[in-house]
Amino acid sequence: MTALFAPLSSLRRRPGRTLLTALGTALGIATIVALLAVAGGAEHAAGEFYSLGASDLGLFQKAAADPTTSVLSTTLIPKLRRTPGIADATPLLLLVGEVSRAPGAIVFGADPSGFLTQRLVFSSGRMLTSRRQIVVGDQLARQLHLAVGDTLRVHGRPLTVVGIYHIGVAYQDQGAFVDMPLAQSIAGMDGETTTIAVKLGVTERPAAAKRTIAQRFPGLTVIADAQEATRAGANAQLVSNAALVIAVLALLIGGIGVINTMLMSVVERRSEFALLSAVGWSRWQVAGRVLVEGVVTTVIGAAIGLPVGVLGADWLVSELGAQEFVAPRTTAWGLGRGLLVGVLIGVLGGLYPAWRAARVSPAQALAQG
Amino acid sequence: MPGARVIAEHVTRAYGASVVLDDVSFVVEPGELIALTGASGSGKTTLLQLLGSLDRPTSGSIIVGDTAVHRLSRPARFRRETVGFVFQLHHLLPTLTVSQNVQLPLVAAGVRRRERSRRALELLGEVGLADRDRALPGDLSGGERQRVAIARALAGEPQLLLADEPTGALDSVASERVWRLLVAARERHGTTVIVASHDSMLAEHADRGLSLVDGRLVSGSSDGGAGEEAA
Ligand SMILES: Nc1ncnc2c1ncn2[C@@H]1O[C@H](COP(=O)(O)OP(=O)(O)OP(=O)(O)O)[C@@H](O)[C@H]1O
Ligand SMILES: [Mg+2]
Repeated sequence: MTALFAPLSSLRRRPGRTLLTALGTALGIATIVALLAVAGGAEHAAGEFYSLGASDLGLFQKAAADPTTSVLSTTLIPKLRRTPGIADATPLLLLVGEVSRAPGAIVFGADPSGFLTQRLVFSSGRMLTSRRQIVVGDQLARQLHLAVGDTLRVHGRPLTVVGIYHIGVAYQDQGAFVDMPLAQSIAGMDGETTTIAVKLGVTERPAAAKRTIAQRFPGLTVIADAQEATRAGANAQLVSNAALVIAVLALLIGGIGVINTMLMSVVERRSEFALLSAVGWSRWQVAGRVLVEGVVTTVIGAAIGLPVGVLGADWLVSELGAQEFVAPRTTAWGLGRGLLVGVLIGVLGGLYPAWRAARVSPAQALAQG
Repeated sequence: MPGARVIAEHVTRAYGASVVLDDVSFVVEPGELIALTGASGSGKTTLLQLLGSLDRPTSGSIIVGDTAVHRLSRPARFRRETVGFVFQLHHLLPTLTVSQNVQLPLVAAGVRRRERSRRALELLGEVGLADRDRALPGDLSGGERQRVAIARALAGEPQLLLADEPTGALDSVASERVWRLLVAARERHGTTVIVASHDSMLAEHADRGLSLVDGRLVSGSSDGGAGEEAA
Protein backbone atom coordinates (compact mmCIF):
# COMPACT_ATOMS: atom_id res chain seq x y z
CA MET A 1 0.00 0.00 0.00
CA THR A 2 1.37 3.34 -1.11
CA ALA A 3 -0.33 5.12 1.75
CA LEU A 4 1.80 3.18 4.20
CA PHE A 5 5.09 4.09 2.55
CA ALA A 6 7.09 5.95 5.19
CA PRO A 7 3.85 7.48 6.51
CA LEU A 8 5.55 9.00 9.51
CA SER A 9 8.36 10.68 7.64
CA SER A 10 6.65 13.99 7.06
CA LEU A 11 5.04 13.92 10.51
CA ARG A 12 8.39 13.28 12.15
CA ARG A 13 10.13 16.03 10.25
CA ARG A 14 7.51 18.56 11.25
CA PRO A 15 7.12 17.71 14.91
CA GLY A 16 5.70 21.09 15.86
CA ARG A 17 2.89 20.92 13.37
CA THR A 18 2.19 17.29 14.14
CA LEU A 19 2.00 18.02 17.85
CA LEU A 20 -0.32 20.99 17.34
CA THR A 21 -2.67 18.98 15.16
CA ALA A 22 -2.54 16.14 17.65
CA LEU A 23 -3.29 18.54 20.51
CA GLY A 24 -6.33 19.87 18.67
CA THR A 25 -7.63 16.35 18.40
CA ALA A 26 -6.57 15.56 21.95
CA LEU A 27 -8.72 18.41 23.19
CA GLY A 28 -11.76 17.09 21.34
CA ILE A 29 -11.18 13.56 22.57
CA ALA A 30 -10.51 14.69 26.14
CA THR A 31 -13.77 16.65 26.12
CA ILE A 32 -15.69 13.63 24.93
CA VAL A 33 -14.12 11.22 27.41
CA ALA A 34 -14.64 13.66 30.29
CA LEU A 35 -18.26 14.32 29.38
CA LEU A 36 -19.03 10.65 28.94
CA ALA A 37 -17.48 9.95 32.34
CA VAL A 38 -19.46 12.73 34.01
CA ALA A 39 -22.68 11.73 32.25
CA GLY A 40 -22.05 8.11 33.17
CA GLY A 41 -21.44 9.14 36.76
CA ALA A 42 -24.58 11.28 36.78
CA GLU A 43 -26.67 8.45 35.39
CA HIS A 44 -25.24 6.09 37.96
CA ALA A 45 -25.92 8.54 40.77
CA ALA A 46 -29.44 9.12 39.55
CA GLY A 47 -29.94 5.39 39.50
CA GLU A 48 -28.66 5.04 43.03
CA PHE A 49 -30.86 7.89 44.08
CA TYR A 50 -34.04 6.22 43.04
CA SER A 51 -33.28 2.68 43.96
CA LEU A 52 -33.52 2.34 47.69
CA GLY A 53 -32.30 -1.18 48.10
CA ALA A 54 -32.41 -4.59 46.49
CA SER A 55 -35.79 -5.71 47.80
CA ASP A 56 -37.42 -2.30 47.70
CA LEU A 57 -39.43 -0.23 45.30
CA GLY A 58 -39.41 3.53 45.27
CA LEU A 59 -42.66 5.31 44.54
CA PHE A 60 -42.75 8.81 43.04
CA GLN A 61 -45.31 11.13 41.60
CA LYS A 62 -45.70 10.31 37.94
CA ALA A 63 -45.33 13.86 36.63
CA ALA A 64 -42.22 14.71 38.71
CA ALA A 65 -39.01 15.64 36.91
CA ASP A 66 -36.79 14.27 39.68
CA PRO A 67 -37.21 12.84 43.19
CA THR A 68 -37.09 16.20 44.95
CA THR A 69 -40.08 17.67 43.12
CA SER A 70 -42.35 14.68 43.56
CA VAL A 71 -45.35 15.23 45.88
CA LEU A 72 -47.29 12.30 47.39
CA SER A 73 -49.91 12.24 50.13
CA THR A 74 -48.96 10.28 53.26
CA THR A 75 -52.49 8.84 53.29
CA LEU A 76 -51.24 6.45 50.62
CA ILE A 77 -49.04 4.69 53.16
CA PRO A 78 -51.73 2.72 55.05
CA LYS A 79 -53.31 1.76 51.71
CA LEU A 80 -49.98 0.49 50.43
CA ARG A 81 -49.41 -1.52 53.60
CA ARG A 82 -52.71 -3.28 52.99
CA THR A 83 -51.78 -4.18 49.41
CA PRO A 84 -51.00 -7.90 48.97
CA GLY A 85 -47.30 -8.62 48.43
CA ILE A 86 -46.19 -5.46 50.21
CA ALA A 87 -44.61 -6.02 53.62
CA ASP A 88 -44.09 -2.41 54.63
CA ALA A 89 -44.17 1.20 53.38
CA THR A 90 -42.49 4.29 54.81
CA PRO A 91 -42.29 7.94 53.69
CA LEU A 92 -39.10 9.70 52.65
CA LEU A 93 -38.96 13.48 52.12
CA LEU A 94 -35.98 14.92 50.29
CA LEU A 95 -34.71 18.39 51.24
CA VAL A 96 -32.06 19.84 48.95
CA GLY A 97 -29.87 22.86 49.66
CA GLU A 98 -31.03 23.31 53.24
CA VAL A 99 -27.64 22.86 54.93
CA SER A 100 -25.88 26.14 54.22
CA ARG A 101 -22.46 24.73 55.18
CA ALA A 102 -22.86 21.88 52.64
CA PRO A 103 -25.27 22.95 49.91
CA GLY A 104 -24.88 19.64 48.07
CA ALA A 105 -25.97 17.54 51.04
CA ILE A 106 -29.46 16.08 51.02
CA VAL A 107 -31.47 16.00 54.24
CA PHE A 108 -33.98 13.18 54.40
CA GLY A 109 -37.14 13.41 56.42
CA ALA A 110 -38.02 9.91 57.59
CA ASP A 111 -39.98 8.01 60.20
CA PRO A 112 -37.41 7.13 62.94
CA SER A 113 -39.09 3.76 63.40
CA GLY A 114 -39.56 3.02 59.70
CA PHE A 115 -37.66 0.24 57.93
CA LEU A 116 -35.34 2.65 56.04
CA THR A 117 -33.86 4.25 59.15
CA GLN A 118 -33.57 0.83 60.80
CA ARG A 119 -30.83 0.10 58.29
CA LEU A 120 -28.57 2.95 59.39
CA VAL A 121 -25.49 1.61 61.17
CA PHE A 122 -24.27 4.02 63.83
CA SER A 123 -20.55 4.45 64.36
CA SER A 124 -21.27 6.79 67.24
CA GLY A 125 -24.39 7.96 69.02
CA ARG A 126 -27.87 6.59 68.23
CA MET A 127 -31.02 7.14 66.20
CA LEU A 128 -32.88 10.43 66.67
CA THR A 129 -35.92 10.52 68.97
CA SER A 130 -37.18 14.12 68.66
CA ARG A 131 -37.80 16.95 66.19
CA ARG A 132 -34.75 18.86 67.48
CA GLN A 133 -32.31 16.15 66.61
CA ILE A 134 -30.47 15.04 63.52
CA VAL A 135 -28.32 12.05 62.52
CA VAL A 136 -25.54 12.69 60.06
CA GLY A 137 -23.84 10.47 57.44
CA ASP A 138 -20.18 9.77 58.18
CA GLN A 139 -18.94 11.52 55.03
CA LEU A 140 -20.88 14.70 55.76
CA ALA A 141 -19.70 14.53 59.37
CA ARG A 142 -16.09 14.33 58.20
CA GLN A 143 -16.61 17.21 55.78
CA LEU A 144 -18.15 19.47 58.41
CA HIS A 145 -16.08 18.11 61.35
CA LEU A 146 -19.21 17.15 63.27
CA ALA A 147 -19.32 14.93 66.30
CA VAL A 148 -22.17 13.78 68.51
CA GLY A 149 -23.38 16.69 70.63
CA ASP A 150 -22.56 19.34 68.02
CA THR A 151 -25.17 21.58 66.45
CA LEU A 152 -26.03 21.61 62.76
CA ARG A 153 -28.37 24.19 61.24
CA VAL A 154 -30.92 22.98 58.71
CA HIS A 155 -33.03 25.71 57.09
CA GLY A 156 -31.77 27.97 59.87
CA ARG A 157 -32.99 25.67 62.66
CA PRO A 158 -30.36 24.48 65.16
CA LEU A 159 -30.47 20.70 65.53
CA THR A 160 -28.41 18.54 67.85
CA VAL A 161 -26.36 15.80 66.24
CA VAL A 162 -27.21 12.63 68.15
CA GLY A 163 -25.72 10.00 65.85
CA ILE A 164 -23.29 9.43 62.98
CA TYR A 165 -24.12 6.58 60.61
CA HIS A 166 -22.78 4.70 57.61
CA ILE A 167 -25.00 2.89 55.15
CA GLY A 168 -22.82 2.52 52.04
CA VAL A 169 -24.93 4.53 49.64
CA ALA A 170 -22.94 7.61 48.68
CA TYR A 171 -25.68 10.23 48.66
CA GLN A 172 -27.02 9.03 51.99
CA ASP A 173 -23.60 8.95 53.65
CA GLN A 174 -23.13 12.51 52.38
CA GLY A 175 -26.54 13.51 53.78
CA ALA A 176 -28.47 13.47 57.03
CA PHE A 177 -31.80 12.24 58.45
CA VAL A 178 -34.33 14.29 60.43
CA ASP A 179 -37.76 13.51 61.79
CA MET A 180 -40.56 13.50 59.20
CA PRO A 181 -42.74 16.25 60.77
CA LEU A 182 -39.73 18.62 60.87
CA ALA A 183 -38.94 17.95 57.21
CA GLN A 184 -42.59 18.51 56.28
CA SER A 185 -42.67 21.83 58.07
CA ILE A 186 -39.39 22.98 56.44
CA ALA A 187 -40.67 22.00 53.00
CA GLY A 188 -44.17 23.35 53.65
CA MET A 189 -45.57 19.93 52.81
CA ASP A 190 -47.87 19.06 55.72
CA GLY A 191 -49.35 15.61 55.21
CA GLU A 192 -47.18 15.09 52.17
CA THR A 193 -43.92 13.41 51.20
CA THR A 194 -41.76 13.24 48.08
CA THR A 195 -41.17 9.50 48.06
CA ILE A 196 -42.57 6.35 49.57
CA ALA A 197 -40.25 3.38 49.96
CA VAL A 198 -41.89 -0.01 49.77
CA LYS A 199 -40.56 -3.27 51.15
CA LEU A 200 -41.78 -6.35 49.39
CA GLY A 201 -42.76 -9.62 50.99
CA VAL A 202 -39.92 -12.14 50.83
CA THR A 203 -41.66 -14.26 48.22
CA GLU A 204 -42.85 -11.38 46.09
CA ARG A 205 -41.17 -10.73 42.73
CA PRO A 206 -40.58 -6.99 42.02
CA ALA A 207 -42.14 -7.22 38.55
CA ALA A 208 -45.41 -8.63 39.88
CA ALA A 209 -45.53 -6.10 42.71
CA LYS A 210 -44.92 -3.30 40.24
CA ARG A 211 -47.89 -4.41 38.16
CA THR A 212 -50.16 -4.57 41.19
CA ILE A 213 -49.14 -1.09 42.34
CA ALA A 214 -49.46 0.38 38.86
CA GLN A 215 -52.99 -0.98 38.64
CA ARG A 216 -54.15 0.20 42.05
CA PHE A 217 -52.33 3.54 42.15
CA PRO A 218 -52.24 4.93 38.61
CA GLY A 219 -50.66 8.30 39.62
CA LEU A 220 -47.43 6.66 40.80
CA THR A 221 -44.16 5.88 39.09
CA VAL A 222 -42.59 2.70 40.43
CA ILE A 223 -38.83 2.39 40.29
CA ALA A 224 -37.29 -1.00 40.87
CA ASP A 225 -33.71 -0.72 39.64
CA ALA A 226 -31.04 1.78 38.73
CA GLN A 227 -31.48 1.58 34.98
CA GLU A 228 -35.15 2.24 35.19
CA ALA A 229 -34.41 5.10 37.52
CA THR A 230 -32.24 6.71 34.90
CA ARG A 231 -34.95 6.46 32.35
CA ALA A 232 -37.56 7.84 34.69
CA GLY A 233 -35.44 10.77 35.89
CA ALA A 234 -35.98 13.65 33.51
CA ASN A 235 -32.97 15.46 34.92
CA ALA A 236 -30.66 12.52 34.45
CA GLN A 237 -31.98 12.29 30.92
CA LEU A 238 -31.21 15.95 30.45
CA VAL A 239 -27.66 15.45 31.68
CA SER A 240 -27.02 12.61 29.29
CA ASN A 241 -28.62 14.45 26.37
CA ALA A 242 -26.55 17.53 27.09
CA ALA A 243 -23.46 15.35 27.24
CA LEU A 244 -24.32 13.94 23.84
CA VAL A 245 -24.80 17.38 22.32
CA ILE A 246 -21.52 18.61 23.78
CA ALA A 247 -19.75 15.48 22.58
CA VAL A 248 -21.01 16.13 19.06
CA LEU A 249 -19.80 19.72 19.33
CA ALA A 250 -16.42 18.49 20.53
CA LEU A 251 -16.32 16.17 17.55
CA LEU A 252 -17.06 19.06 15.21
CA ILE A 253 -14.52 21.33 16.84
CA GLY A 254 -11.86 18.62 16.81
CA GLY A 255 -12.72 17.79 13.20
CA ILE A 256 -12.53 21.39 12.08
CA GLY A 257 -9.20 21.76 13.87
CA VAL A 258 -7.82 18.75 12.05
CA ILE A 259 -9.21 19.90 8.70
CA ASN A 260 -7.68 23.29 9.23
CA THR A 261 -4.17 22.20 10.14
CA MET A 262 -4.12 19.42 7.58
CA LEU A 263 -5.34 21.76 4.89
CA MET A 264 -2.56 24.18 5.74
CA SER A 265 -0.09 21.37 5.54
CA VAL A 266 -1.50 20.22 2.20
CA VAL A 267 -1.30 23.70 0.74
CA GLU A 268 2.27 24.04 1.95
CA ARG A 269 3.20 20.70 0.45
CA ARG A 270 1.56 21.20 -2.93
CA SER A 271 4.80 20.54 -4.76
CA GLU A 272 5.25 17.29 -2.84
CA PHE A 273 1.90 15.99 -4.03
CA ALA A 274 2.57 17.30 -7.54
CA LEU A 275 5.80 15.35 -7.52
CA LEU A 276 4.12 12.14 -6.36
CA SER A 277 1.61 12.62 -9.13
CA ALA A 278 4.40 13.25 -11.68
CA VAL A 279 6.22 10.05 -10.76
CA GLY A 280 3.07 8.01 -11.27
CA TRP A 281 1.07 8.06 -8.04
CA SER A 282 -2.65 7.91 -8.74
CA ARG A 283 -5.07 10.31 -7.06
CA TRP A 284 -6.20 7.55 -4.73
CA GLN A 285 -2.64 6.83 -3.72
CA VAL A 286 -1.93 10.50 -2.99
CA ALA A 287 -5.20 10.90 -1.09
CA GLY A 288 -4.54 7.71 0.87
CA ARG A 289 -1.19 9.06 2.01
CA VAL A 290 -2.78 12.23 3.37
CA LEU A 291 -5.54 10.25 5.08
CA VAL A 292 -3.06 7.95 6.81
CA GLU A 293 -1.15 10.98 8.04
CA GLY A 294 -4.37 12.40 9.46
CA VAL A 295 -5.27 9.18 11.23
CA VAL A 296 -1.78 8.73 12.65
CA THR A 297 -1.89 12.30 13.93
CA THR A 298 -5.22 11.85 15.63
CA VAL A 299 -4.17 8.56 17.18
CA ILE A 300 -1.28 10.47 18.75
CA GLY A 301 -3.90 12.99 19.81
CA ALA A 302 -6.00 10.22 21.32
CA ALA A 303 -3.03 8.96 23.31
CA ILE A 304 -2.76 12.42 24.83
CA GLY A 305 -6.49 13.11 25.02
CA LEU A 306 -7.67 9.93 26.76
CA PRO A 307 -5.74 10.42 30.02
CA VAL A 308 -6.41 14.16 29.95
CA GLY A 309 -10.13 13.38 29.61
CA VAL A 310 -10.08 11.03 32.58
CA LEU A 311 -8.40 13.67 34.74
CA GLY A 312 -10.60 16.37 33.21
CA ALA A 313 -13.74 14.56 34.37
CA ASP A 314 -12.69 14.86 38.01
CA TRP A 315 -11.78 18.49 37.49
CA LEU A 316 -15.11 19.19 35.78
CA VAL A 317 -17.09 17.59 38.59
CA SER A 318 -15.25 19.50 41.29
CA GLU A 319 -15.52 22.72 39.28
CA LEU A 320 -19.28 22.19 39.07
CA GLY A 321 -19.35 21.54 42.84
CA ALA A 322 -21.07 18.23 42.23
CA GLN A 323 -18.75 15.81 44.04
CA GLU A 324 -21.56 14.96 46.47
CA PHE A 325 -23.72 13.63 43.66
CA VAL A 326 -21.45 12.48 40.90
CA ALA A 327 -18.33 10.35 40.90
CA PRO A 328 -17.10 10.31 37.27
CA ARG A 329 -17.27 6.82 35.84
CA THR A 330 -14.68 6.07 33.21
CA THR A 331 -15.57 2.83 31.50
CA ALA A 332 -13.63 0.89 28.88
CA TRP A 333 -16.51 1.61 26.53
CA GLY A 334 -16.24 5.33 27.30
CA LEU A 335 -12.53 5.28 26.47
CA GLY A 336 -13.22 3.13 23.42
CA ARG A 337 -15.71 5.65 22.19
CA GLY A 338 -13.17 8.43 22.73
CA LEU A 339 -10.64 6.52 20.65
CA LEU A 340 -13.22 5.73 18.00
CA VAL A 341 -14.20 9.36 17.82
CA GLY A 342 -10.53 10.29 17.51
CA VAL A 343 -10.01 8.04 14.53
CA LEU A 344 -13.27 9.32 13.07
CA ILE A 345 -12.04 12.89 13.47
CA GLY A 346 -8.85 11.89 11.69
CA VAL A 347 -10.64 10.26 8.79
CA LEU A 348 -13.35 12.90 8.40
CA GLY A 349 -10.94 15.77 9.00
CA GLY A 350 -8.52 14.28 6.51
CA LEU A 351 -11.03 13.69 3.71
CA TYR A 352 -11.20 17.18 2.32
CA PRO A 353 -7.44 17.87 2.60
CA ALA A 354 -6.82 14.47 0.95
CA TRP A 355 -9.15 15.38 -1.87
CA ARG A 356 -7.35 18.68 -2.30
CA ALA A 357 -3.97 16.96 -2.32
CA ALA A 358 -5.17 14.50 -4.94
CA ARG A 359 -6.28 17.33 -7.19
CA VAL A 360 -3.02 19.27 -7.18
CA SER A 361 -2.11 19.84 -10.82
CA PRO A 362 1.47 18.61 -11.27
CA ALA A 363 2.30 20.99 -14.11
CA GLN A 364 1.45 24.15 -12.21
CA ALA A 365 2.78 23.12 -8.83
CA LEU A 366 6.10 21.92 -10.21
CA ALA A 367 6.53 24.97 -12.42
CA GLN A 368 6.38 27.10 -9.28
CA GLY A 369 9.31 25.08 -7.96
CA MET B 1 13.13 -1.40 -21.94
CA PRO B 2 13.53 -0.02 -25.51
CA GLY B 3 12.77 3.63 -26.15
CA ALA B 4 9.43 4.95 -27.32
CA ARG B 5 8.70 6.81 -30.52
CA VAL B 6 7.25 10.25 -29.83
CA ILE B 7 4.90 11.86 -32.33
CA ALA B 8 3.54 15.37 -31.83
CA GLU B 9 0.99 16.63 -34.35
CA HIS B 10 -0.27 20.21 -34.44
CA VAL B 11 0.16 20.57 -30.71
CA THR B 12 -1.14 23.88 -29.38
CA ARG B 13 -1.29 25.00 -25.76
CA ALA B 14 -2.96 28.28 -24.92
CA TYR B 15 -3.71 29.96 -21.61
CA GLY B 16 -6.73 32.03 -22.52
CA ALA B 17 -5.69 34.31 -25.32
CA SER B 18 -1.97 33.72 -24.85
CA VAL B 19 -0.70 30.93 -27.10
CA VAL B 20 2.33 29.32 -25.48
CA LEU B 21 2.82 26.49 -28.00
CA ASP B 22 1.62 27.09 -31.52
CA ASP B 23 0.99 24.19 -33.90
CA VAL B 24 4.08 22.16 -32.99
CA SER B 25 4.68 18.95 -34.95
CA PHE B 26 7.67 16.59 -34.82
CA VAL B 27 8.70 12.96 -34.59
CA VAL B 28 11.39 11.58 -32.28
CA GLU B 29 12.64 8.07 -33.06
CA PRO B 30 13.15 5.45 -30.33
CA GLY B 31 16.49 5.86 -28.62
CA GLU B 32 17.19 9.37 -29.87
CA LEU B 33 18.67 12.01 -27.56
CA ILE B 34 17.05 15.33 -28.42
CA ALA B 35 18.16 18.81 -27.38
CA LEU B 36 15.16 21.09 -26.86
CA THR B 37 16.38 24.66 -26.96
CA GLY B 38 14.86 28.11 -26.98
CA ALA B 39 14.85 31.39 -25.12
CA SER B 40 13.28 31.70 -21.72
CA GLY B 41 9.53 31.69 -22.11
CA SER B 42 9.62 30.02 -25.52
CA GLY B 43 7.62 27.03 -24.24
CA LYS B 44 10.19 24.30 -23.50
CA THR B 45 8.82 23.36 -20.09
CA THR B 46 5.28 23.48 -21.41
CA LEU B 47 6.16 21.06 -24.23
CA LEU B 48 7.87 18.59 -21.89
CA GLN B 49 4.87 18.64 -19.57
CA LEU B 50 2.54 17.89 -22.45
CA LEU B 51 4.75 14.99 -23.61
CA GLY B 52 4.79 13.58 -20.08
CA SER B 53 1.00 13.95 -19.54
CA LEU B 54 1.45 16.46 -16.72
CA ASP B 55 -0.59 18.89 -18.79
CA ARG B 56 -2.96 18.57 -21.74
CA PRO B 57 -2.74 20.28 -25.14
CA THR B 58 -5.48 22.71 -26.08
CA SER B 59 -5.52 20.98 -29.45
CA GLY B 60 -3.41 18.51 -31.39
CA SER B 61 -2.26 15.01 -30.55
CA ILE B 62 0.71 13.43 -28.79
CA ILE B 63 1.56 9.76 -29.21
CA VAL B 64 4.24 8.14 -27.03
CA GLY B 65 4.90 4.52 -27.90
CA ASP B 66 1.37 3.23 -28.39
CA THR B 67 -0.29 5.66 -25.97
CA ALA B 68 -2.39 8.63 -27.09
CA VAL B 69 -1.16 10.90 -24.32
CA HIS B 70 -3.46 13.82 -25.13
CA ARG B 71 -6.49 11.61 -24.48
CA LEU B 72 -5.43 10.04 -21.16
CA SER B 73 -8.02 10.69 -18.49
CA ARG B 74 -6.10 8.84 -15.77
CA PRO B 75 -2.45 9.37 -16.62
CA ALA B 76 -0.92 7.94 -13.43
CA ARG B 77 -0.20 4.56 -14.96
CA PHE B 78 1.35 6.06 -18.11
CA ARG B 79 3.57 8.25 -15.99
CA ARG B 80 4.90 5.46 -13.85
CA GLU B 81 5.29 2.89 -16.62
CA THR B 82 6.46 4.94 -19.56
CA VAL B 83 8.00 8.29 -18.56
CA GLY B 84 10.70 9.48 -16.23
CA PHE B 85 11.06 13.14 -15.29
CA VAL B 86 14.09 15.12 -14.23
CA PHE B 87 13.19 18.66 -13.24
CA GLN B 88 15.32 21.77 -13.14
CA LEU B 89 15.05 21.84 -9.37
CA HIS B 90 15.61 18.26 -8.29
CA HIS B 91 12.25 18.09 -6.42
CA LEU B 92 13.32 15.45 -3.95
CA LEU B 93 11.03 15.10 -0.96
CA PRO B 94 13.01 16.53 1.94
CA THR B 95 11.46 14.23 4.56
CA LEU B 96 12.35 11.01 2.77
CA THR B 97 15.80 9.45 2.54
CA VAL B 98 17.66 9.33 -0.76
CA SER B 99 16.74 5.69 -1.17
CA GLN B 100 13.06 6.34 -0.39
CA ASN B 101 12.99 9.15 -2.94
CA VAL B 102 14.30 6.81 -5.61
CA GLN B 103 11.68 4.26 -4.62
CA LEU B 104 8.69 6.59 -5.08
CA PRO B 105 7.76 5.41 -8.62
CA LEU B 106 8.17 1.78 -7.52
CA VAL B 107 5.87 2.36 -4.54
CA ALA B 108 3.17 3.58 -6.91
CA ALA B 109 3.71 0.50 -9.05
CA GLY B 110 3.21 -1.77 -6.05
CA VAL B 111 6.72 -3.24 -6.08
CA ARG B 112 7.51 -5.09 -2.87
CA ARG B 113 9.65 -3.47 -0.25
CA ARG B 114 12.67 -5.74 -0.51
CA GLU B 115 12.74 -5.51 -4.29
CA ARG B 116 12.29 -1.74 -4.09
CA SER B 117 15.30 -1.17 -1.88
CA ARG B 118 17.39 -3.53 -3.98
CA ARG B 119 16.46 -1.59 -7.14
CA ALA B 120 17.08 1.75 -5.44
CA LEU B 121 20.53 0.68 -4.33
CA GLU B 122 21.35 -0.52 -7.82
CA LEU B 123 20.18 2.77 -9.38
CA LEU B 124 22.07 4.82 -6.81
CA GLY B 125 25.12 2.74 -7.72
CA GLU B 126 24.65 3.72 -11.37
CA VAL B 127 24.71 7.42 -10.44
CA GLY B 128 27.63 6.92 -8.02
CA LEU B 129 25.70 7.48 -4.78
CA ALA B 130 25.29 3.95 -3.41
CA ASP B 131 26.84 4.98 -0.11
CA ARG B 132 24.40 7.84 0.45
CA ASP B 133 21.16 5.84 0.38
CA ARG B 134 20.21 6.69 3.96
CA ALA B 135 21.07 10.37 3.75
CA LEU B 136 18.42 13.06 3.56
CA PRO B 137 18.36 15.25 0.43
CA GLY B 138 19.26 18.27 2.53
CA ASP B 139 22.63 16.71 3.28
CA LEU B 140 23.59 16.37 -0.41
CA SER B 141 25.14 18.87 -2.79
CA GLY B 142 23.10 20.23 -5.72
CA GLY B 143 24.85 17.93 -8.19
CA GLU B 144 24.31 14.88 -5.98
CA ARG B 145 20.65 15.70 -5.61
CA GLN B 146 20.24 15.97 -9.34
CA ARG B 147 21.87 12.55 -9.73
CA VAL B 148 19.39 11.14 -7.22
CA ALA B 149 16.61 12.69 -9.30
CA ILE B 150 17.99 10.91 -12.38
CA ALA B 151 18.09 7.62 -10.48
CA ARG B 152 14.46 8.19 -9.53
CA ALA B 153 13.51 9.02 -13.12
CA LEU B 154 15.09 5.75 -14.25
CA ALA B 155 13.53 3.64 -11.48
CA GLY B 156 10.46 2.71 -13.48
CA GLU B 157 12.60 1.76 -16.51
CA PRO B 158 10.95 4.43 -18.64
CA GLN B 159 10.76 4.38 -22.41
CA LEU B 160 10.93 8.16 -22.46
CA LEU B 161 13.12 10.30 -20.25
CA LEU B 162 12.18 13.98 -20.05
CA ALA B 163 14.68 16.35 -18.48
CA ASP B 164 13.96 20.05 -17.97
CA GLU B 165 17.18 22.05 -17.58
CA PRO B 166 18.73 19.28 -15.47
CA THR B 167 22.01 21.19 -15.15
CA GLY B 168 20.52 24.63 -14.76
CA ALA B 169 21.67 25.03 -11.18
CA LEU B 170 24.97 23.13 -11.43
CA ASP B 171 28.60 24.03 -12.08
CA SER B 172 30.37 22.61 -15.10
CA VAL B 173 31.87 19.56 -13.36
CA ALA B 174 28.56 18.50 -11.88
CA SER B 175 26.84 19.27 -15.18
CA GLU B 176 29.19 17.04 -17.09
CA ARG B 177 28.39 14.18 -14.75
CA VAL B 178 24.68 14.66 -15.27
CA TRP B 179 25.14 14.69 -19.05
CA ARG B 180 27.06 11.47 -18.92
CA LEU B 181 24.28 9.80 -16.94
CA LEU B 182 21.63 10.90 -19.44
CA VAL B 183 23.76 9.64 -22.33
CA ALA B 184 24.38 6.38 -20.45
CA ALA B 185 20.64 5.87 -19.96
CA ARG B 186 20.20 6.09 -23.70
CA GLU B 187 23.20 3.85 -24.47
CA ARG B 188 22.39 1.20 -21.87
CA HIS B 189 18.61 0.97 -22.12
CA GLY B 190 17.86 2.53 -25.50
CA THR B 191 15.67 5.07 -23.74
CA THR B 192 14.39 8.00 -25.77
CA VAL B 193 15.69 11.17 -24.07
CA ILE B 194 14.44 14.72 -24.58
CA VAL B 195 16.36 17.43 -22.73
CA ALA B 196 15.45 21.10 -22.52
CA SER B 197 18.45 23.25 -21.76
CA HIS B 198 20.36 26.44 -22.29
CA ASP B 199 23.54 24.55 -21.50
CA SER B 200 26.01 24.65 -24.39
CA MET B 201 27.26 21.19 -23.42
CA LEU B 202 23.89 19.82 -24.51
CA ALA B 203 24.76 20.25 -28.18
CA GLU B 204 27.82 18.01 -27.82
CA HIS B 205 25.75 15.12 -26.46
CA ALA B 206 22.50 15.38 -28.44
CA ASP B 207 21.72 13.58 -31.70
CA ARG B 208 19.80 16.57 -32.94
CA GLY B 209 17.93 19.63 -31.76
CA LEU B 210 14.43 20.99 -31.65
CA SER B 211 14.32 24.73 -31.29
CA LEU B 212 11.41 26.82 -30.06
CA VAL B 213 10.89 30.51 -30.72
CA ASP B 214 7.81 32.03 -29.13
CA GLY B 215 6.08 28.68 -29.05
CA ARG B 216 6.83 27.72 -32.64
CA LEU B 217 9.24 25.05 -33.79
CA VAL B 218 11.82 26.73 -36.04
CA SER B 219 14.22 23.95 -36.95
CA GLY B 220 14.23 20.20 -36.84
CA SER B 221 17.84 20.03 -37.93
CA SER B 222 19.76 16.80 -37.44
CA ASP B 223 23.18 18.31 -36.78
CA GLY B 224 22.65 18.88 -33.09
CA GLY B 225 22.57 22.64 -33.59
CA ALA B 226 21.19 24.33 -30.54
CA GLY B 227 18.95 27.22 -31.50
CA GLU B 228 19.22 30.29 -29.39
CA GLU B 229 21.31 30.50 -26.29
CA ALA B 230 19.47 33.38 -24.71
CA ALA B 231 19.07 33.60 -20.99
N1 LIG C 1 -0.14 28.42 -16.01
C1 LIG C 1 0.21 29.38 -16.90
N2 LIG C 1 -0.64 30.38 -17.16
C2 LIG C 1 -0.32 31.34 -18.06
N3 LIG C 1 0.82 31.36 -18.73
C3 LIG C 1 1.72 30.38 -18.51
C4 LIG C 1 1.45 29.35 -17.60
N4 LIG C 1 2.51 28.51 -17.59
C5 LIG C 1 3.40 29.01 -18.47
N5 LIG C 1 2.92 30.13 -19.01
C6 LIG C 1 3.59 30.95 -20.02
O1 LIG C 1 3.99 30.13 -21.08
C7 LIG C 1 5.19 30.62 -21.64
C8 LIG C 1 6.15 29.47 -21.80
O2 LIG C 1 6.54 29.04 -20.52
P1 LIG C 1 7.57 27.86 -20.32
O3 LIG C 1 7.75 27.67 -18.88
O4 LIG C 1 7.15 26.68 -21.12
O5 LIG C 1 8.88 28.49 -20.97
P2 LIG C 1 10.35 27.89 -20.97
O6 LIG C 1 10.78 27.83 -22.39
O7 LIG C 1 10.41 26.65 -20.18
O8 LIG C 1 11.13 29.05 -20.21
P3 LIG C 1 12.40 28.91 -19.25
O9 LIG C 1 13.59 28.72 -20.14
O10 LIG C 1 12.44 30.25 -18.55
O11 LIG C 1 12.16 27.79 -18.35
C9 LIG C 1 5.70 31.71 -20.72
O12 LIG C 1 5.44 32.96 -21.34
C10 LIG C 1 4.88 31.53 -19.48
O13 LIG C 1 4.63 32.80 -18.90
MG1 LIG D 1 11.28 26.05 -18.39
